[in-house]
Amino acid sequence: MIACVAVVGHQNNPLYLQSFTGADDALKLHHIVHCSLDVIDERVNNPKRSVITLNESYLGLLYPTESYKVYGYLSNTKVKFLVVTTDLDVKDTDIRSFFRRFHAAYVDAVSNPFHVPGKKIISRIFAARVSGIVKAFAPGTYG
Amino acid sequence: MGREVAESCIDGVIIEMVSAYGRRFYATKPELAAHRIEAIGYQVGHQLIERYTMERPRFNDHLEVIKFICKDFWQELFKKQIDNLKTNHKGTFVLQDNNFRWLTRISIDPSSDNNDGSQGSSSEATNLLLYFPCGIIRGALSNLGIPCAVSADSSNLPFCSFMVRIKA
Repeated sequence: MIACVAVVGHQNNPLYLQSFTGADDALKLHHIVHCSLDVIDERVNNPKRSVITLNESYLGLLYPTESYKVYGYLSNTKVKFLVVTTDLDVKDTDIRSFFRRFHAAYVDAVSNPFHVPGKKIISRIFAARVSGIVKAFAPGTYG
Repeated sequence: MGREVAESCIDGVIIEMVSAYGRRFYATKPELAAHRIEAIGYQVGHQLIERYTMERPRFNDHLEVIKFICKDFWQELFKKQIDNLKTNHKGTFVLQDNNFRWLTRISIDPSSDNNDGSQGSSSEATNLLLYFPCGIIRGALSNLGIPCAVSADSSNLPFCSFMVRIKA
């Protein structure tokens, strides 16, 4: 089950953070997302140490804790997409397709002329689309 | 997912925008009009590049970014690629378009020797219009992490060249 999704701008400013657990743990999820940003920076700046190729958008599993896993995705414009999930066995292809849809929804939200680049995304349509993508995400249904 | 619009609508909107800013809003201050038009282009470029780099793997260096602008980005915007790219390898690039799509509809005043007033205004309008694609290029590059300054030169319509200076 996906606990939360986050979009972070290229200056590590939060653009969107939405939790789907129902409990009031926004602060804890903020903290997890923040720690994952360091992992992303490390992966991007030290390509020799990690196995990820230099120009792959999908960064894979960033930060496994005992109850959460955090996956990352970096766009060409240095916008970071993060997914915190509580599932233990999530297939790579599922997460990749999730990020693809998430990225598409983000691009549509940012193309809004009333959106100020660098400020938080306040579009309700974007929030609804992301909720839809999260609900549709169920590991193992894609075969 | 998008619906389509006739290209003449885009031409009309751009021409009207340049005319509105140049002749109505900032009629007495052409530098402010140019600045506003360039800022509009900046936001448009900023948002467009987000959409057009969605499927691509990440870029390795500045030259790859400029080549992307010359090929894919220009193709999406103007249905053709940049015809000529020059660089001095020190952060300056010149992008040359032999037939810039937005300038193909601009008439060149034939009586340019006799009537200085109208020749001045037509080239002034062309210069104002060229601030828009300069802004688009600047917005696109800065969203990819490359701050720069872009200027255009159109002494020979419809041939047009854009000079991109990357800030160190």
